[in-house]
Amino acid sequence: MSELQLAFTNTAGLSSVMSFWVFVASNGFSKRKELLTKIGLGVMIVGFLSLTAAIIARGIEAQRFPLANLYESLLWFAWAVMGAYLALSRSYGINQLGWIASLTAATMFLYGSWLPASQHDITPLVPALVSYWRQIHVPPLIVSYAMFFLAGLSGFIQLYRAGRLFSLITAVVTVVLALTAVMLGTFTATDTTLLQLMFAGASLIGTVIAFAKLDTVDKARVDIRGAELYDDVSYRCIAIGFPLLTIGIITGGLWANHAWGTYWSWDPKESMALVTWLSYAAYIHLRIHRECSAEKLSLVAFIGLLLTLMTYLGFNSLGLGGLHSYGKFK
Amino acid sequence: MPILASVKLTVVLLALTAATVLVGAWCPQEAQQGREKIIEQFGADTAKILIDCGITDIFHSPWFLLLIGLLTVNMVACSMQRVFPKLRLLKQPLPFLKGKEIGKLPVNARLPSANDASILVYVEQWLRKRGFKIKRQDNCLVAEYGKIGRLAPTITHIGLLTLLLGVTVTSWCGFSGFKPVLAGGALSFEDSEHSKLWIGKLPRWYVRVDTTRREDHPSGDPKQWYTHLTVVSPDGTPLKEQEISVNNPLSYDGVDIYQSSWGLDHLLVSFNGKPRQLDLRQMGKTYAAFLPLDEGSILIFSVRGQKTPVRIFAKRADWDAPKLLAEMTENKPAQLGAVTLRCEQIVPATGLQYKCDPGLPITYVAFGFIIIGVMLAAIPHRHVWVCMAPPPSENFPPAAAGHYLYIGGRSLKAKVGFQRLLDGLIAQLKDELRINPGDDAEKSPKIDDVVSELGKEPAKDESLAFPSPVASGHSPATGEG
Repeated sequence: MSELQLAFTNTAGLSSVMSFWVFVASNGFSKRKELLTKIGLGVMIVGFLSLTAAIIARGIEAQRFPLANLYESLLWFAWAVMGAYLALSRSYGINQLGWIASLTAATMFLYGSWLPASQHDITPLVPALVSYWRQIHVPPLIVSYAMFFLAGLSGFIQLYRAGRLFSLITAVVTVVLALTAVMLGTFTATDTTLLQLMFAGASLIGTVIAFAKLDTVDKARVDIRGAELYDDVSYRCIAIGFPLLTIGIITGGLWANHAWGTYWSWDPKESMALVTWLSYAAYIHLRIHRECSAEKLSLVAFIGLLLTLMTYLGFNSLGLGGLHSYGKFK
Repeated sequence: MPILASVKLTVVLLALTAATVLVGAWCPQEAQQGREKIIEQFGADTAKILIDCGITDIFHSPWFLLLIGLLTVNMVACSMQRVFPKLRLLKQPLPFLKGKEIGKLPVNARLPSANDASILVYVEQWLRKRGFKIKRQDNCLVAEYGKIGRLAPTITHIGLLTLLLGVTVTSWCGFSGFKPVLAGGALSFEDSEHSKLWIGKLPRWYVRVDTTRREDHPSGDPKQWYTHLTVVSPDGTPLKEQEISVNNPLSYDGVDIYQSSWGLDHLLVSFNGKPRQLDLRQMGKTYAAFLPLDEGSILIFSVRGQKTPVRIFAKRADWDAPKLLAEMTENKPAQLGAVTLRCEQIVPATGLQYKCDPGLPITYVAFGFIIIGVMLAAIPHRHVWVCMAPPPSENFPPAAAGHYLYIGGRSLKAKVGFQRLLDGLIAQLKDELRINPGDDAEKSPKIDDVVSELGKEPAKDESLAFPSPVASGHSPATGEG
């Protein structure tokens, strides 16, 4: 990795951490909220531009499209999260999502920085990846994953504004446990069966409790307008992410057919992407169902977030690789 | 039966299908990874339970096929009952709403105005610049944006049904398979896989593997695999020649042949002129052949590629690690005591995947429909109604200029963006009409108020529940379908 690329990447990583703290501070100092929000947004823009430059620099250095391993996909994911937040902030004028978006980007930078040097280094492509289909198939998927993350996180804010604190805390703890399983699977030699149980168990129990306690409302915290605003933001993210996921899955099928003669082979990651697609298809159908409340939809978006986490990072880190094990390094 | 077309059934079936596919993603499938992998992963006892329950072949299980069948029936019923009829609604003209009806819309405002048609012309031009299509009648106009977005569910459903058709044609008429072939060997299609309900036929021609090679990066990692193939008729006549590589297949007579994998198969060596074949096994980046000499010692032949030297190691039971004895190439033999070892040939094998997929054109058309459908779904469908009218009754506060300009609209996607759009229009109209803050204008609510108001609407997806108010007979403010 060149010095220039490293400098851009580090600037982007630091910016995401800084913007997180500035956004957090903006919630604590109501008198300076507007100023601090603007600073947080400004720092996020610096981070986004730096990351754009880092990705371009990496592409120039590698003489190929810079999206071929886990580290590079994490850079793209953080880029998409930051870019999507900036676009949403412009459309909706929302600030609350800022600290969660920058925290997500910072977590991905941290995750990427802990990966071994072989991931950071620019290495030759394996024969299967030497194809123009790579730049058609992978970016829509990574951007869709970022949109689904933001949709799930907007759903968390919706639950908070709707006073569903118990369900919210359960959902947050569940995501933290699932992410911990992914981290342990990536960086330690922990038995993958245990980690699979941790991920699946936490997801299942967390989802059941979150739904069961959805009627527990802290009325003092209810902010209907805010809740409906973040419900709209969550839906908007899914409305953008769903077509991208569809395009990613279909172009993957076209590539597989071009390279291996079959557009669908029930590979674990393919299947998992289909599960994610089905879950968001269910979300969209639930959306037109008049009895489904915004809070239930937020929890469906939370389930989608867990499935996205499993599809994107879980399968390789929890030992379920298959054909799509390019991101695997252990 | 109404339940077959219900959205509730769709959601339940989608959730059950997702759960089934999730189990299939977690558990290795026999069709892809073989039974040995399942036994290795779970142990013999657990593997037996999984196999008996059908979990190791879940995508061919009656349960999964039932789910797909029900989803198909649900999709057809739903499409016929609700989705396809919406196409007719596209042709129906939108109604021109009057002041009272506009006042019921989620976003609306009332501005005092003179009975001046130039105001409506101004609004018409303003909306037209922003992509709206306008219809005008007397002192009213109706504007529509993103009508094409209403086609999204129809096109997506057509795509999904077409996909099922393509998959069915492939299943009934197609075949596929994989075979590792040595250089000089041949690939025929007798052992191909196809479904039980198969009505296709296998080609009589075969494919000869002329040469195969691997190209490496300077680091020694594989860069590309190449195989030169010749299609040969049953009487031995060459029909087509091509060098294939990964992502670059050969196509002939509806059959595609792909470079799927590559490896070194065996080593031909001679011991003092006596030939012997040693099978190679992949060991990371290298291949190795093992030749036991006696109970405690073994010769190991290590080879990295077709053009690299063969390294000969010896390993005894009491040694910690193998010891390098010699290297040999096809031109340079190795001498081990009284034995001359010569490398005669390093023989590669090319992994060839083949398939005949008559349903593919249909499947590709389906992919096109689905992609277009889901992309159209992101386009917001918006309506704006404007009407200039006198106060509705004597009790109504009289407008200073004699008339009111009623303006309102709805958008069930990107509501906040729509609210901002109309806010901009209303602000400019106030300038045009020279309305001061204290004047008799009923202001458009703030964004948060409107978001709150929009949230009360029962139907939340405009593409599926956004008919013409005239056609539905409901108030447009309800968004009923």
